[in-house]
Amino acid sequence: MKNNNTPLPYWKWVPASFALAGIIIFIFATFGPPASSSGFVSTLKGAIQVVAPDYVEAKAHYRMIPDTGSWIFAFVLGMAIGGFIAGRTFSIQVRDIPEIWEKRFGNSRVKRYAATFAGGFLILFAARLAGGCTLGLFISGSTQLAVSGLLFGVLIFAFAMLTARIVFGKGGAGKEGK
Amino acid sequence: MSAQIWLGLLSGIAFGFVIQRIGATNADKMARAHLMLEGEIPRFMLLAIIISSVGLLGLQSANVGRTLIIPVSLVATGLGGILFGVGWGLCGYCPGTTWAAAGEGRMDAVFALLGGLAGTALFAQLHEFLIPLLHAPTNMGQITLADWFGSRPLAVAVLAVVFGICIWIIGFLWGKSTNAAES
Repeated sequence: MKNNNTPLPYWKWVPASFALAGIIIFIFATFGPPASSSGFVSTLKGAIQVVAPDYVEAKAHYRMIPDTGSWIFAFVLGMAIGGFIAGRTFSIQVRDIPEIWEKRFGNSRVKRYAATFAGGFLILFAARLAGGCTLGLFISGSTQLAVSGLLFGVLIFAFAMLTARIVFGKGGAGKEGK
Repeated sequence: MSAQIWLGLLSGIAFGFVIQRIGATNADKMARAHLMLEGEIPRFMLLAIIISSVGLLGLQSANVGRTLIIPVSLVATGLGGILFGVGWGLCGYCPGTTWAAAGEGRMDAVFALLGGLAGTALFAQLHEFLIPLLHAPTNMGQITLADWFGSRPLAVAVLAVVFGICIWIIGFLWGKSTNAAES
């Protein structure tokens, strides 16, 4: 953007796949199956046990995941740092409201933030029910040939595609967006 | 700090950086992937899984690393997948990308992260009620493709072929992003 001679900023998908797979294999070798929705449980456990240790002790879901002093929490914290570094060294500015959302629903921040809060609520509730998320269940699971991960993967893509059609309209920005 | 924490932090930084560079932290690109307008992100996910599964086969033959198969429960995995898909299609973030996108400075991702913490807290509160109700009755155990095909290398080959066909089909049916260097 700043300089027309710089190559376009996003990576091509084939080299990017090798980069991500290298990281995933490294994680399997040094820790075990990578996961990120467990990081939410870890974060909450770390915070809640300060004020209500008895509650954390009594709930099975908090007993099964380690608190913030763990690989699980360090990983999600690292992802935020990685995203920060990547964003600072990128030529495209971030937006708080995606273009496709703005075209459909206008530039109300309240509306967009309410939608992402609701979406975030749903994906984490669902991930904890299924036993993992896009990374912890679909990617980690499929890498280990797990049927749970493959079934989850088919369903999340099918229903995300259906939901996106309902939310953004048929062609999204393509057909009606100007 | 222990070695595990440093390894987790390092792995997370690398992972967060790469998913930003493919555009997965950009909810606009994620929505365009769901609308079949751009195929790069789903193709990237599927190819990364193929390569990782071959790599993991190597690790296992060298007896390195740790695996953990999540059991499949028709109702819990099925209902979880459906609800997850609806949330993902609505906001354009998944649990991992909310952290990287929040770090990138996207305010809508910060709200997705807060919503995620609330959803996690509710599930943790209801765990003792929902797991026996939805997960346990249809729990079929830790099944893998290796159980079905009788051998791990054969199952990896089948996975690679099926995912490879999906990548090829996505290349056909989805559009190409306008800001990828190719095309």
